[in-house]
Amino acid sequence: MTFLSKAITAFGGLLLAHACYSAREHTALQSLRAATAASLTSTPTVATSLPVDIILETIISTFVILLGLVLGTRPLRPIEWRVWAGKIEREGEEGFTDNSGAVDKDFMGNPFSAFESRPNFVDIRKQRREFAEWVQKGGSEATRYYAGSTR
Amino acid sequence: MVQPVLYPPTQLSPAAALALSQQAPSILRSSPSTVSSSPFSALFAGSEKPELWLQYENLILSCLRTGDEQAARQCLQRLVARFGEDNERVQALRGLVKEAEAKNNSDLEGVLKEYDQILSDNDTNIPIVKRRIALLRSMGRISDATSALVQLLEFSPTDAEAWSELSDTYLSQGLYPQAIYAMEEVLVLAPNAWNIHARLGELQYMAATAPGVTQGGYQKYMAEAIKRFSRSIELCDDYLRGYYGLKLVSKKLLSDGAKATKLPEDSEFSFPDTNTIERLNELATAKLAEIVRHSTAHDRGWRGYNEAEIAAAQELLSEDESASSAIKR
Repeated sequence: MTFLSKAITAFGGLLLAHACYSAREHTALQSLRAATAASLTSTPTVATSLPVDIILETIISTFVILLGLVLGTRPLRPIEWRVWAGKIEREGEEGFTDNSGAVDKDFMGNPFSAFESRPNFVDIRKQRREFAEWVQKGGSEATRYYAGSTR
Repeated sequence: MVQPVLYPPTQLSPAAALALSQQAPSILRSSPSTVSSSPFSALFAGSEKPELWLQYENLILSCLRTGDEQAARQCLQRLVARFGEDNERVQALRGLVKEAEAKNNSDLEGVLKEYDQILSDNDTNIPIVKRRIALLRSMGRISDATSALVQLLEFSPTDAEAWSELSDTYLSQGLYPQAIYAMEEVLVLAPNAWNIHARLGELQYMAATAPGVTQGGYQKYMAEAIKRFSRSIELCDDYLRGYYGLKLVSKKLLSDGAKATKLPEDSEFSFPDTNTIERLNELATAKLAEIVRHSTAHDRGWRGYNEAEIAAAQELLSEDESASSAIKR
């Protein structure tokens, strides 16, 4: 997705640059022609506007760039409360990633979970006991990690 | 690699806490050991992010939990270097480290005395007040903890976390009406918190099924529980906990039969009729089945659920199935 949007944006940019260059060349040619025409005949020449294809190219390239940029935006967040809350519960971290797959920095799960976990009232001794029990039950895998961490 | 979380790690599973605390050395290495608070150095050095300090706080919690006191002390030192010894949060964290390192009861008494000492200088030091309450509760002095909590709520009545702690304390003593009252107070402060609605529903259900409850009380609690669970689902699509509770309560009411839903004349609350309860039960069953199906298949967009909760929902559903097949036979 991100590659596609970048490619489209770059293509649009290329088109726009091409249109600008064409417009510049066209005006340069026009003024040269006007100068030579003026020196040969004394009748004033009519000023010509840009040809249609350059104008079209400019407009189309602008829209192509827009398309690329819109494709590259991150998915919109739900604006309804219950949909947003359901997304947190159902998808977890996965639902709140940007295009490259990294979890958003401000993602914090259910923002009200602190009312239940109550971090300021944490009973650290109980948590330590429970963790030690988990390590004892967890078998060799966990113990190996545990030994590695306290080394 | 697990991300260093910015939210408190108390709710993490042991495995996640372990993974987080194992990152402590690399986080400590990658971030500067001292950050000057003078405005001049802030001009030249990179900007100081508040996330960094939050990260240190959470690292202390998970390192203490996994027994890595050395890293916890290092984090604490950095916090002290930045905010000073007298900062209220730093004081509370230092107390936390001491509590974790206490070997016996007399050590804990010492920590408690320190808290009292700090509070005698400034008795509105809320982080320390909270630590003191937690320590009292951890030491088994629950009535002391309760009275301290009530005192805290008297001068800080908008503290939802403290109300929630009070509710939990009452619940641990079996005082259901008080626990429900305190949890309702949390809801007043955070009316959109879907998990608190579900929690209140659970409390009502526990109160209804507790031994020694009167018939009128049973009906009142069950009616409230249905309402709370329905509200939590209203606030959050596909909320497993809400549907689980709704299913549990409606199943129990349906198995009670018609006599339970008949109300005394002077009742001041409304009770949904049997038809509504049946439809709620069907809805909850269908939703739970859908959630379990998607989640066990690891479908994309359904991986946020807790595995233990999914297993419990599965069990509830299978119970239901076996009961209905027994009736058919």
